[in-house]
Amino acid sequence: MRRARMQSETFWCSVVLAGVAFFALYPILLIIVNSFQVAKPGAPALYGLQGWSAVLSQPGLKRALYNTFSLLVVRQLLSFPVAVLIAWLLARTDLPGKSALEFMFWLSFFLPSLSVTLGWILILDPDYGIANQIWKSLFGAAQGPFNIYSFWGIVWAHIGHNTTAVKVMLLTPAFRNMDASLEEASEIAGAGRAGTLVRILIPIMMPIIMVVLILAIINGLQAFEIEMILGAPIGFHVYSTKVYQLIQQEPPSFGPATALSTLVLCILLPLIVMQRRWIGRRQYTTITGRYRAKPIALGKWRYPALALIALVALVITAAPMSFVLIGTFMSLFGFFHIEHPWTLRNWSRVFDDPIFLLSLKNTVLMAGGAALFSVSLFSVVAYISVRTKFIWRATLDFISWFPSAMPGILMGLGLLWLFLDFPIFRPLYGSVWLLIIATVVSSMTLGTQLLKSNLLQLGMELEEASQASGASWWTTYRRIVLPLMFPSVLLVGVLGFIHAARDISNVALLATSGSRTLALLQLDFMVSGRYESAAVVATIVMALTTGIALLARLLGLRIGIRS
Amino acid sequence: MSYVRIQNLTKRFGDVLAVDRLNLEIREGEFFTLLGSSGCGKTTTLRMVGGLEKPDAGAIYLGDRCLVSAAEGMFVKPERRDMGMVFQSYALWPHMTVFENVAYPLKLRRVKAAVIRDKTRAALELVGLGGLEERPATALSGGQQQRVALARALVFSPRVLLLDEPLSNLDARLREEMRRELKALQRRVSVTVLFVTHDQMEALSMSDRVGIMNRGRLEQVGAPEEVYYQPATPFARDFLGKVFALAGKIVSSGDAGCAVKLKDLAAPPISVRSSRAAPESGWTAGQDVMVAIRPEQIGLAISASDGNPNVLPVILQASQFLGDRYEYTVAVGSESRVLTAPASQPLKPGQKIYLALDAEAITLWPTA
Repeated sequence: MRRARMQSETFWCSVVLAGVAFFALYPILLIIVNSFQVAKPGAPALYGLQGWSAVLSQPGLKRALYNTFSLLVVRQLLSFPVAVLIAWLLARTDLPGKSALEFMFWLSFFLPSLSVTLGWILILDPDYGIANQIWKSLFGAAQGPFNIYSFWGIVWAHIGHNTTAVKVMLLTPAFRNMDASLEEASEIAGAGRAGTLVRILIPIMMPIIMVVLILAIINGLQAFEIEMILGAPIGFHVYSTKVYQLIQQEPPSFGPATALSTLVLCILLPLIVMQRRWIGRRQYTTITGRYRAKPIALGKWRYPALALIALVALVITAAPMSFVLIGTFMSLFGFFHIEHPWTLRNWSRVFDDPIFLLSLKNTVLMAGGAALFSVSLFSVVAYISVRTKFIWRATLDFISWFPSAMPGILMGLGLLWLFLDFPIFRPLYGSVWLLIIATVVSSMTLGTQLLKSNLLQLGMELEEASQASGASWWTTYRRIVLPLMFPSVLLVGVLGFIHAARDISNVALLATSGSRTLALLQLDFMVSGRYESAAVVATIVMALTTGIALLARLLGLRIGIRS
Repeated sequence: MSYVRIQNLTKRFGDVLAVDRLNLEIREGEFFTLLGSSGCGKTTTLRMVGGLEKPDAGAIYLGDRCLVSAAEGMFVKPERRDMGMVFQSYALWPHMTVFENVAYPLKLRRVKAAVIRDKTRAALELVGLGGLEERPATALSGGQQQRVALARALVFSPRVLLLDEPLSNLDARLREEMRRELKALQRRVSVTVLFVTHDQMEALSMSDRVGIMNRGRLEQVGAPEEVYYQPATPFARDFLGKVFALAGKIVSSGDAGCAVKLKDLAAPPISVRSSRAAPESGWTAGQDVMVAIRPEQIGLAISASDGNPNVLPVILQASQFLGDRYEYTVAVGSESRVLTAPASQPLKPGQKIYLALDAEAITLWPTA
């Protein structure tokens, strides 16, 4: 009896492992193999190094790599100190309105970057950007100083969106959970505030700071939409937009595209291993004493600090959101001084458009499906790697890290080839299912890790106590594990929904006109210069993602464990 | 001579009065313990001495130096107070080795590298951890971490050593060992210690003097024997050790103490001659009182001795073997009481036994 159960456990775990490995690793393999494939599309396979020599010789490709890294470095140098300061202020001081401010950074994280970029275009466009118009009327200059279509414009769009917000989100809890007596011991020993910060606080926070930094580099290498909108029109390419361009052109040139991708994968994979190691390292940030951290009194700095953070929080949330909303009511995006600047036509036009209605339906289906599917799959993967004795559980955990190394465009390409290679998947082509699989695979790392750490915290005893009381495994899972995990499960579902609803890079190559989502429709509108319609779609996508986030916050506060 | 002087110290957390007009003087070289249950304000008091909390009112002096005074707006930062502190969680810095942890206060004082090395080694030798210098601090066992924390607090020869429940995270055996070592160490380096604990055993065994705290106020300050045998307040009486208490009524009061007729008992009045029964305490005949005695001060006999009025006949109801002693449940009149006694001869439930109460050891309390 027991033996039979063990065997069926091993069987099911193996099925999960095989499925996860197939979808997570096979696309990567395809990319690497195809970088050595030099035959024209459709012709029999032929292997060679032309793709690689193109990457190494064409100036455009090298330039794209250089751009990718210079953007990355500049962004991190600017945003890291700001994020550390904000996280510290939010977690350790008596700043007023902390929780509202922290939530604004979460909100910023949930906003689709394409919509945020649209808002910034309206503010910072060189011709009609509102900031430039104000400048011109104030100083009588012929030309305003801001240009969103530039290197610095791209840097700004990133910093004004996820780059800062995600760091604040991750660093704030870490600062909050640190045992305050570690700092107090240093003060008693004779160090002042500043000495304690440099000698104790920052070294202790090093593991989490490293994790955040590596994550930032990975995210930076995956960036796509912002560069696509702001860089491509001025011929400024990063590697992801270059790959997209190479694949979309006629005929597609897969060789250089995959070779360039493989090169970037070679940089990303070691980063993934490094990140995993830093996370696995013993985290120092644990609460031990009975004394909760006493907030540090900011004194006369209290209101200047509040003003600073509130400004940052508003700039990254309210500013782009409100300008997108304004844009939906404008006859001509950005032109305030024409005869009839305001109109409702954009809204009625979009809602009359059958393509829009189809995209809305696709988006809701796909995001809802992705949320459900990611919650069930990730909780199984997390459970296997934490709670079972399955011999390959460490491998399963390791594989779940790979998708985070795959830039969305590559994941999309790899999955596209995978679906075309295997006849059983062909019926799925052109359907929403394909998009669900792509977005679920690409969000696997974060979701699995969130659930895993929650399971680890729960401890085995709670489940064992339930089993000792006579509950079966399934009853225990349903009555004990799931309710205790509810907040994390909810969070993973919400993240899955939002990730899918706003995703562009993973699905750009997979969607057809029948399975187009709102985010892709918005991209189409923006690329073809229909900013007014794009603004309407952007507003709806933002309402979807932030609405779900707010709903989850309400639910999460009411249900689940009270802390 | 007082060394640490605390005057009218008051601290609020929101609506909670954590420390309420506390006055205390600690002598130089003394091992002083604040004892109380959790939430009584003892840790808050310690943290105010260390400078980790600011009092809302009152002042603290170290010798002639004012460390903090709410009235004068005076506040010396913790790093300028020259105090060593051991935290309950030890607060060892996980990114440093044992040596670096202990050397940290010296480095901050810009001591020469060679001196740092010698002093750090000496401090680690002192706590019995020589040879572990290069280990990461968090790779040690709980007891060892505790010693590192102690070495770190002592290495710069602080003027006062603050100990915040340092033994509470250790297991029972280790706690006893560290208790003895800590006391021996304090004698050797003769540092003034302010110790905070909720464990009466620790407080009684290590301290020169104990202050019992309750609801932010000091209930009683005195030598361990004094606070144990002559509790000044009902809280001090009930908090420390066990109490064997019986209700009664005063029949007479005079120079020789009081005579108390116990309720529910046919026996003649017992005599009470402890300091609490002295004439100046103002007891009057007819007053309802409670007599209390530590259970271990009760003599137990199987036959009545003549002439001693302070012997009560009781019925043994149950006995439990506790290893080094027995715990007996006895019926005194219509009520049950518990006492412990060394196992001299086997006693059977239902048996009649006699309890001898030492007239000097009994304390008297008014009943509300």
